[in-house]
Amino acid sequence: MADQTLPIAGTVDVTPPRRSTAMLLEWLHGWVVTVDHKRLGILYLVYGIFFLLVAGAEAIAIRIQLAWPGMHFLSPELYNEMFTMHGTTMVFLVGMTIIFGFANYLVPLMIGARDMAFPRLNAFSFWMTAFGGLLIYYSFIGGFGLYGMGAAPDVGWWAYAPLTAKAFSPGHATDYWALALIVAGFGTLGTAINVIATTLSMRCRGMTLLRMPLFVWLMLVTSGLTLITITPLTAAQIMLVIDRYLGGHFFDTQAGGSAVVWMHFFWIFGHPEVYVLVMPAFGIASEIIPVFSRKAIFGYPAMVAASVGIAFVSLGVWAHHMFTVGMTSVGNAFFVLSTMLVGIPTGIKIFNWVATIWGGKIRFATPMLFCLGFLFQFLIAGLTGIMLSVAPWNWQLHNSYFVIAHFHYVLVGAIVFNVFAGIYYWYPKVTGRMLSETLGKWHFWLFFIGFHVTFDTMHFVGFLGMPRSIYTYEPDRGWNHLNFIISMGGMIQAIAVLIFAWNLVHSYLKGKKAGNDPWDAWTLEWAVPSPPPVYNFAADPVVHSRRPLWDLKHPEDPDWKYEA
Amino acid sequence: MTETTQHKAGPAHSETIHLPAPTAWPIVLALGCALAAAGLVTSLWVTAFGAVLMVSGCVGWFRQVLPHEAHEDVPVVVQPVTITTTRRVVRRLEIGPEHRAHLPVETYPVTSGIKGGIAGGIAMIFPALAYGLIAQHSIWYPVNLLGGAGVGPSAHITTAEIAAFHWSWLVVAIVIHTVTCLLVGLLYGAMLPMLPTRPVLLGGILAPLLWTGLLHSAMGVINPALDARIQWGWFVVSQVFFGVVAGLVVAREGKIKTSRGLPFFARMGIEAPGLMESNPNAGPPEYSDEEKH
Amino acid sequence: MSAIPVSPIAVPWHLPSRGRVAMLSLITGESAIFTIFVVAYIYYIGKSLWGPTPQQVLDIPIFNTICLLSSSVTIWLAEREIDRGKMRGFAAWWALTIALGAIFIVGTGIEWHKLIYADGLTIRTNLFGTTFYSLVGLHATHVVVGLIGLSLILLFTLTGHVREEHSERIQVFALYWHFVDAVWVVVFTVVYIVGR
Repeated sequence: MADQTLPIAGTVDVTPPRRSTAMLLEWLHGWVVTVDHKRLGILYLVYGIFFLLVAGAEAIAIRIQLAWPGMHFLSPELYNEMFTMHGTTMVFLVGMTIIFGFANYLVPLMIGARDMAFPRLNAFSFWMTAFGGLLIYYSFIGGFGLYGMGAAPDVGWWAYAPLTAKAFSPGHATDYWALALIVAGFGTLGTAINVIATTLSMRCRGMTLLRMPLFVWLMLVTSGLTLITITPLTAAQIMLVIDRYLGGHFFDTQAGGSAVVWMHFFWIFGHPEVYVLVMPAFGIASEIIPVFSRKAIFGYPAMVAASVGIAFVSLGVWAHHMFTVGMTSVGNAFFVLSTMLVGIPTGIKIFNWVATIWGGKIRFATPMLFCLGFLFQFLIAGLTGIMLSVAPWNWQLHNSYFVIAHFHYVLVGAIVFNVFAGIYYWYPKVTGRMLSETLGKWHFWLFFIGFHVTFDTMHFVGFLGMPRSIYTYEPDRGWNHLNFIISMGGMIQAIAVLIFAWNLVHSYLKGKKAGNDPWDAWTLEWAVPSPPPVYNFAADPVVHSRRPLWDLKHPEDPDWKYEA
Repeated sequence: MTETTQHKAGPAHSETIHLPAPTAWPIVLALGCALAAAGLVTSLWVTAFGAVLMVSGCVGWFRQVLPHEAHEDVPVVVQPVTITTTRRVVRRLEIGPEHRAHLPVETYPVTSGIKGGIAGGIAMIFPALAYGLIAQHSIWYPVNLLGGAGVGPSAHITTAEIAAFHWSWLVVAIVIHTVTCLLVGLLYGAMLPMLPTRPVLLGGILAPLLWTGLLHSAMGVINPALDARIQWGWFVVSQVFFGVVAGLVVAREGKIKTSRGLPFFARMGIEAPGLMESNPNAGPPEYSDEEKH
Repeated sequence: MSAIPVSPIAVPWHLPSRGRVAMLSLITGESAIFTIFVVAYIYYIGKSLWGPTPQQVLDIPIFNTICLLSSSVTIWLAEREIDRGKMRGFAAWWALTIALGAIFIVGTGIEWHKLIYADGLTIRTNLFGTTFYSLVGLHATHVVVGLIGLSLILLFTLTGHVREEHSERIQVFALYWHFVDAVWVVVFTVVYIVGR
């Protein structure tokens, strides 16, 4: 029965497979004009993984430059471009595209729908994001900046005023940053609207809100948060463009404008953005951990409530990025406390994941390994986050490598780990082939070791006072060996990612056939063939519980007997 | 699905599914938007070209969805099946409500404690006033002892002053009395699950202890001068009055079931299959009679 | 041995309209954009280092405001007409809505003309100019987009392409127009009352 669909609506799909006879051009044309959520999801993911490699290469360039004092591997100008583009790319072109890739592919399948609510808007949103990314990278060729042609944005991914003013950033490099991200931002907004409309309006019969898989819930919360997160950035970038093109004075301190206002606007976007990125990662973990522990998720309602709670709290913490700017003591106290408050819902989540694993029959397949790594690292990331939320501590360590270590623990240790877990978990569904477990284990262990060598050590150079964004440093600071270790860890991670990329290609061609349900999982996407047909479900599914496939596989003991 | 089998439940039949037709207009519009923005950093001709693409993209998209959304039909063949389990079906352990019952099974609700506190607070006024009338020939004496705690200097206060009427002291006394009664009632209610039987007897002992303890410890700090004048014997009498009345009120309230027998998850409102009793009313109506186990 | 249920669920299955959900989401996102511009405007009130100041040049656009706000009422009347299937009444109220919106835009244009040529206030003059033209301009852009949409719908109504069964879509679009009007209440309060 491995290659047959599960009878989710009391019927199985026995449509004879259509042989594709398309020529290369026709095939390409099919991808360009597609409005199918699965194809767009794949496009998002491929695009995201491509830029993951690009931004990873930029990170490696930065690490080589910093591996030893007085290095000249990069010129100072190029170094500034590298860390700006590394941050911008990772957040906007990797993080956002990969999470929306997962959302696109999985949300309709998981809620038993045939497509997103607005398929054409979906295509439009993807291409907006894609062209936005191409535009910002075109600046490497066509941008004109302080140092002549071929200048990419070099003002940091936060682009603090007044450095972005025309006087300090002549040419167009900064405009590329603002305009490309405005374009990509509208794409993001479109997809967020689409995901919300899909989850609320496209659910199959019986899929009540409290029966949706947690991944869908988290994508719903994330998209809601995106609506009010990405738009302030767009607004602030419009202001920046007005300043730079029309001679406005929003951030022009000489005319009474304020650079601090930019910081506020940027971080009103910037901090919730972290949650926009990490919550889909939570969603991935909430799908994988139960399946590989062979237990239903512990505390489903608490998980949902905690997700909504995180979204709310995240809107009121932005100024903890600005303790060193100087605020009133009331302001400091407020942002210290609100930041610490985040620890409560995230703590609930961690406990629920642990409780799900507790007593389970754990299978240590690659997806589960990455999720376990995530649990461990996210805990540490949360703890250093609490440390940094304390204003006096923050005054000491702000803009040091301790901060870099903290947020890379979140962005890599939590998000990238879960993204890898998700790719190992759903790759069989998307391609019909299993990723190689051997290569997967190599990938996991090398990446895990490399991650800890790099980012654990980074905490210490932070303590020793090394500030972020510096081009090089004097040899007598005591940072030499630590920096060398960090760079070596980066190399190990790079090797691991290359193994992963090889695994993706190799398994696509030679991987083991997956069948429709290789992990013996419980959500609807595993009821359809791998890869799913263009219409997803031959008959409209009906569900009765949170684990519809469990009900199918255990007719003698279905879940709906126990759920209220 | 290794331990289940599927049976055909009817002939396979063809159906048609409507899917939105592929279209190039979204990418044209997106390219137009991107070029319109790119023109600002390159040449305004690019913006103009982008604008042309945007307009044509909008028009094309519009014609794609109006008056009818363009769609393509995909034929599918579906086979109705039923699914059966080949697992050995075991009977679940029946867990009765008394299984590992955590005592008490029943107790009085917390709110009954508050109600008792209110009733007792009203009742204890009478013995207190009687004490004032008998011992000091003034009903204001006990009121002022309580109310004076929160008002004015009292280092060299005379008995005559305490026996006189002060409306501000009266207000303060009422506030203190109300708050304390409610708090003691709440405390008493919270302790009820520990002592679910004989609320009258226990109320008569426990509530006075709480009251006296609260005030005895607090008065010495708040107002030592008045503290010295309190006759604790009389005081305790009125407290017992409070306690007995509160207990009587609690006894009149119905008992509720404690959820102590339920596992932690259930009390948290979390569904935990396998740990809870199944809910036969949930989900679809299924299982024909002869298949029921 | 037991069978999988295929019996239809008796309980009715209702889902919210996707158009309405999407429009409300869009409005949420747009509100965030406006919030940022409004906050910037409020923060920069009185921070201009040189004139002209709002007190010197701004007149309260009472007539414009009345026109725009009453267009919310007329579009609501139009929605009611199409809901009852009266296409003539719908077209009439819809056209009136467009007229009121157009009066508002023309009024804004006259105001800006006066500010630019009579008072010498442009977007680069001072902070007040920057924030004023950005905020009011952002709102005016939304009005223009709304007017284009309204006019297209009117066009298709007159050619008979919009019919009674499109009532749901019309109402979704009307949500946007209500939002544009509601934003004007905020902009008006901030710019012409608080900031003057």
